[in-house]
Amino acid sequence: MTYSIIARCPNTGRLGVGTTTFSIACGRRNESVRANVGISKSQAFYLRGVDPLALNLLAAGYRPQRIVQILAADDADFEYRQFGIIDREDNVIAYTGPKIGQWAGHKTGPYYAAYGNGLAGPQTVEGIVSGFLRHPDAPLEYRLLEALEGGRDAGGQATNGRHRPERSAWIRVVGPLDYPEIDVRVDLHDDTVGQLRRTLTEYVQHREYYLKRSEHPPGAIPEEQFVAGLSAGPSLGR
Amino acid sequence: MTYSVVARCPRTGRFGIGTASYSIVVGLYCDGALRPNIGVTTTQAFPYPRNNRLAMNLLAQGFSPRQALNELLANDPHPDYRQIAIVNREGTAVVHSGTKIPTSPGYRLGEGYAVLGDMLVSQSVVNAIAARFESEPDADLEDRLLGCLEAGRDAGGHFGPAGRLPERSAAVVVFGKRDFSDFDLRVDLHDKAVDELRRVYIDYKPHAAYYLQRALQPRNAIPSMEFADMLKKQTAKEAS
Repeated sequence: MTYSIIARCPNTGRLGVGTTTFSIACGRRNESVRANVGISKSQAFYLRGVDPLALNLLAAGYRPQRIVQILAADDADFEYRQFGIIDREDNVIAYTGPKIGQWAGHKTGPYYAAYGNGLAGPQTVEGIVSGFLRHPDAPLEYRLLEALEGGRDAGGQATNGRHRPERSAWIRVVGPLDYPEIDVRVDLHDDTVGQLRRTLTEYVQHREYYLKRSEHPPGAIPEEQFVAGLSAGPSLGR
Repeated sequence: MTYSVVARCPRTGRFGIGTASYSIVVGLYCDGALRPNIGVTTTQAFPYPRNNRLAMNLLAQGFSPRQALNELLANDPHPDYRQIAIVNREGTAVVHSGTKIPTSPGYRLGEGYAVLGDMLVSQSVVNAIAARFESEPDADLEDRLLGCLEAGRDAGGHFGPAGRLPERSAAVVVFGKRDFSDFDLRVDLHDKAVDELRRVYIDYKPHAAYYLQRALQPRNAIPSMEFADMLKKQTAKEAS
């Protein structure tokens, strides 16, 4: 059980993934987003090697539609997989295998795909999409966050009618550079999506300071001084 | 305001980083810092994100760690503010600790590993990390690295003008032979990030093999809720 949103920002071309799940440490999958190539995020009974393979094929020149056929041809358990792929030309594809069990589904748009399994129902996917579309001019990381919040608030995950908590979550956004602009994670928490918002908000507050400190170390103020100066003050603790 | 250990496991050839920092989301700086069969690197104090891939690319071209380090310094307008470590697949480790880092930097080099940190309460922090790393040569690399972070914390960790500074984020990342991580756990924002990383690790460890098995044999997989319940019962039984 997992739900995700993948998107290419129509304003900036930045690529991003947001995902949350019952499993622990879902954000360890850095290999799923590649700058200037695309996104391939697989889940349900995912094979870790599929995302880098799909991105290699995108980089080689394949279209997402053909990549799905290539993946299917080499996987006896393809019907247990779920994934989405977006390339840098906004070709979007999502696949939900019929044998995943529990409720699973997806919805694609012109530059995004929302999908999940082990969900309360289609309302979770609808919630992801409406959260994502709520603020079309916001930075991609916040659109991804609102998508996850939308999925959570629409009922999130359930098995046999019982709600299942989100235990880990992840948002990663890459721009033109090889290393990410945003990569925040919650690996194990009882209010995972809430904690993700808190972490992203604090990271965005710190980010400009961190960038400046890296590029121009002379004269950078000590971080504890920066933290003390944050208007709201940092809120620590779980 | 970060202490780290970067290492190659001599038994398995795996590469790993353990890092803890007063800065938040320190795990982001591990991005691109490990490459299977090539090496591992970090740049901290005043980090320089482009260094990770440059270091790995230079090692992959055939540069020695020393040459690669010299190139990073020559490519950097402010090398005096960086702490950099590189370990290659031969287990050769090198460190640079810039002379203009204002906050008591320290480092230790060992066989196949390097420990480095700044804003430390004293050199005893890096010594404690190194001692812990060497104390368990047969343990899995992720266990050694997490133990190192705890040793750094217990030795006093970070210290500023106003006293002890908490570890607000931490990460342990290990790469084996594959193009993606073998192990990758993070705490991005917490007032006791190293303690929290241990908590996550205890829950995560028994799941790791299950997550892999579920992918390889989806037809026979136990649902993840059931697996979690099973673990809970097992833990309760062991405790009683």
